[in-house]
Amino acid sequence: MTAPPALLRAASVSRAFGGFTAVDSVSMDLRPGEVVGLLGANGAGKTTLLRLLLGLLAPTSGAVELLGGAPDRERRRRLGYVPQGLGLYRDLTVRENLAFAASSYGAAPAPLEGELAESADALVRDIPLGLQRRLAFVSALAHGPSVVVLDEPTSGVDAVARAELWDTIRAQAASGVGVLVTTHYMQEAEQCDRLLLMSEGRLVGEGDEQAIVAGTTAVAVRTDDWARAFDVLDSAGELVMLSGRAIRVADGDPDGLRTILSAAGLDATVERVPATIEERMAVLARGGGAA
Amino acid sequence: MILKEFRELRRDRRTVGLLVGMPLLLLVIFGYAANFYVSSVKAAVVGPQAEQVASALPSFFDVTVVEPAQGQADAESLLQANTVDVALVTGQQPVLALVDGSNLFAAQSTVSVLNKAGDQVTTQILYNPDLSTSWVMIPAIIGLILTFIGTIVTSIGLVKERETGTLEQLAVMPIRPSTVILGKITPYFLLASLDMVIITVLGMLLFDVPFNGNPFAFALGAALFLLVVLGLGVFISTISQTTGQAIQTAFFFLLPQILLSGMIFPLDAMAAGVRWIGYLLPLTYFTMISQGIMLRGATVAELWLPFTVLAVMAVVVLTGATLRFRRDLAPGRRRRHGHAHEASSAPVSDEAGASR
Repeated sequence: MTAPPALLRAASVSRAFGGFTAVDSVSMDLRPGEVVGLLGANGAGKTTLLRLLLGLLAPTSGAVELLGGAPDRERRRRLGYVPQGLGLYRDLTVRENLAFAASSYGAAPAPLEGELAESADALVRDIPLGLQRRLAFVSALAHGPSVVVLDEPTSGVDAVARAELWDTIRAQAASGVGVLVTTHYMQEAEQCDRLLLMSEGRLVGEGDEQAIVAGTTAVAVRTDDWARAFDVLDSAGELVMLSGRAIRVADGDPDGLRTILSAAGLDATVERVPATIEERMAVLARGGGAA
Repeated sequence: MILKEFRELRRDRRTVGLLVGMPLLLLVIFGYAANFYVSSVKAAVVGPQAEQVASALPSFFDVTVVEPAQGQADAESLLQANTVDVALVTGQQPVLALVDGSNLFAAQSTVSVLNKAGDQVTTQILYNPDLSTSWVMIPAIIGLILTFIGTIVTSIGLVKERETGTLEQLAVMPIRPSTVILGKITPYFLLASLDMVIITVLGMLLFDVPFNGNPFAFALGAALFLLVVLGLGVFISTISQTTGQAIQTAFFFLLPQILLSGMIFPLDAMAAGVRWIGYLLPLTYFTMISQGIMLRGATVAELWLPFTVLAVMAVVVLTGATLRFRRDLAPGRRRRHGHAHEASSAPVSDEAGASR
């Protein structure tokens, strides 16, 4: 069966600012019904790639396609976008924001439901962040877009609100909409059908979680004096992370870690374990283990 | 803390400009421009003894028109068109000196000099018989208020879109950049116009300032001036990332307009090196128009120079500023990349992009 045409596509796209290359030869696509997660640490190039895909930045080289052509005004009619800052007018009410967004796309304002309906006449600046995010979603989806681009969509909202927003995202994908999500939340990455991992402007991993972390391991360190162990390993230049009271060292060497801990007089069990995406990102951010 | 503050200041070019540039500007202004005494006025001498009287006048009078064949009506026309500050009508005893009261400081200096001639001259002050300061200031203040709304309020309104991230959302929406720009500046244009009407009417009611000219000509001048200052506001928004920066930058544009446009210190009394700055400022020309129409009842034809200058400024400033703002909004121009694809140019913010 032939794959449906890409809704969003980057072909060897690069963008440099002076001598600094923010996005370096990235190729990717987004197909109908797919939720693709764009991952990467801060400064990995996610936002610049997003701006290239939206047509807000011109590539230095390579090409970008939205709905089969240049991301021009006409094609952006079928795009829904929720920027990280939400793009809402704080001095307008919920209803007025929706009306403005809908009229900009030549669509009818979306009907308000639940808490948004209750706050219809409240100023956006007066409603909670979770509700603001939901409003941004409703605004971006009101005109029935084919492609939805979400920049850090659930940043700063509680777990219940986050789950509800992901319900909305999955429902959109189920109806054939392609969704591109940038995030650095691992829980959100797990919700995606496919992940793209960026580091230093390059695409360094693509696929599901297993494919992304392939080739990277971590070491779990268990000790009663976890606080001191953390300090000791951190001082030794290891990529140390804390998960509850458990210490994990990304890309660590178990024997080397044992030596460091024992020299500090710490009694600990050291075990090699599969790495998480977060640990893979930490390794990449340190400048090692590029795929 | 002190070291940190100095480091921050060193890297904040606008504040350094304010700290270094503003004192220099004030020094120059108050050193060379802050002078209420006009040392020379343009004069016309008409009537049968025009040549004799002109040759006998002290050097205070810069005689630019000598017309023995003309009379009092012609002299008044010259004053109405602001060609001269004083016109001496000969052929009668004593000589009649008609003084343009709308040019307050020149008029005060002229009256002072004419008084020394004793009963050889009868002085008649036109357009502002009591040499009232408020009559001269109100028309200029109308311009100042329009400048305030046009530069500070407009630039804040536009920068707010950038600060809150809605500018990026607008850039992604399928709205034409021209529609966005028009939609953004039209409310300010209308509000400023309303303010102008209110201030003009209040000025007339509270201070008895006359309105001797054509209101439509006045509205045309105000509209042209408003387009210039709105353009300045749009321009300021394109070089400011925050509201604070916009206010700081607008201050740089506002202060010279207040001090060097002739509103407070007469242009004629300024040193030539500073006066030319005044002639670059739009408020200078609006003040010429507003005082000319309100006090002297001057026509568009008589005020052709300030009207023309403001029209040129409006086209240049507004076009330049909106083109700059357009770059922030939309990709507009397209460049071909690679084999067959085209991609849009112009960032919402290259600086933001550079941070990845």
